[in-house]
Amino acid sequence: MRIEELPVANAAASPEVFQRLGEITRQLHDTLNQLGVMPKLRNSAQGLPDARSRLSYIARKSGEAADKVLTSVEHAKREQTELASAARSMLAALSADARSSAAGLAAIDFVTQLEASTGRIDAHLTDIMLAQDFHDLTGQVVAKVVTLAMDLEDSLVGLLVQAAPGDSAGAQDSGLRGPVIDAAAGSDVAANQSEVDDLLASFGF
Amino acid sequence: MSAGSHMKFLVVDDFATMRRIVRGLLKEMGYENIDEAEDGAVALSMVKLNNYDFVVSDINMPNMNGFEFLKAVKADPKYLKLPVLMVTAEARKEDIVLAVQSGAAGYIVKPFTKATLEDKVQKIMQKLAAAA
Repeated sequence: MRIEELPVANAAASPEVFQRLGEITRQLHDTLNQLGVMPKLRNSAQGLPDARSRLSYIARKSGEAADKVLTSVEHAKREQTELASAARSMLAALSADARSSAAGLAAIDFVTQLEASTGRIDAHLTDIMLAQDFHDLTGQVVAKVVTLAMDLEDSLVGLLVQAAPGDSAGAQDSGLRGPVIDAAAGSDVAANQSEVDDLLASFGF
Repeated sequence: MSAGSHMKFLVVDDFATMRRIVRGLLKEMGYENIDEAEDGAVALSMVKLNNYDFVVSDINMPNMNGFEFLKAVKADPKYLKLPVLMVTAEARKEDIVLAVQSGAAGYIVKPFTKATLEDKVQKIMQKLAAAA
């Protein structure tokens, strides 16, 4: 049943309903405070943007890796096509007069095998190329999780604002931070090896 | 090289990696004339400006998704015969039915193989040739 389909009598009772909802909210607020849940909720809310950044970092890095692989595959395929073409040309040239010697027959055998190998290598390269679709598939999943995290963050922040206004205790440090996800976000991280080396140099290394 | 190697393709996907993969596969199949679009809105304007023979489109895209793009293309009688092959991670049956009802020529679920794409493209082309 949709809300507009509810009887008018229910709409008339809404002030009581809202009053009751307010009481329940107050009880929930008091209970959360008594149980000491608010600091944990606050930490969770403050941790969500970091979690989103890390997921976005994973998506970006996997995308860059997939692009590198595709570029290498495209180069390899070009060289492989040239190699296959050269093998076919050489086979045609050798066939006429090379069969009279053992060395000539060995050369024909080798080039024949080479041409067959290029076909198999090309199929492997196609498989490698297709396998990079993981970036598209995992990227879509990551995007959905990031959206969910944003919604959860909004809800938690809303709850915190209502339940603990003015309480601005800082988040606890969660220890090691892992790879740099967004170097531009803060000056407390080294964006690349050059900055690391500069820092080391300032310590005399 | 196949007889249809002169055909003009449009590959629509918001993931550049996927566009590269589909382009690479189409090239291996002998098709050299391939354009790319990153969403349905861009694809729709490209369809109106170019005479494409075949469109390969994702569904889940920003701005204009694959269904909206497909419906917009098929709403124009000029493009009723333009084959649009959906290549997507959306594997729900209702999506497949909706695609077919909207005028899709075929539907491939990711991840897919080169053989699957080749088979679908060939069958669609054969069907078009038979109908002509």
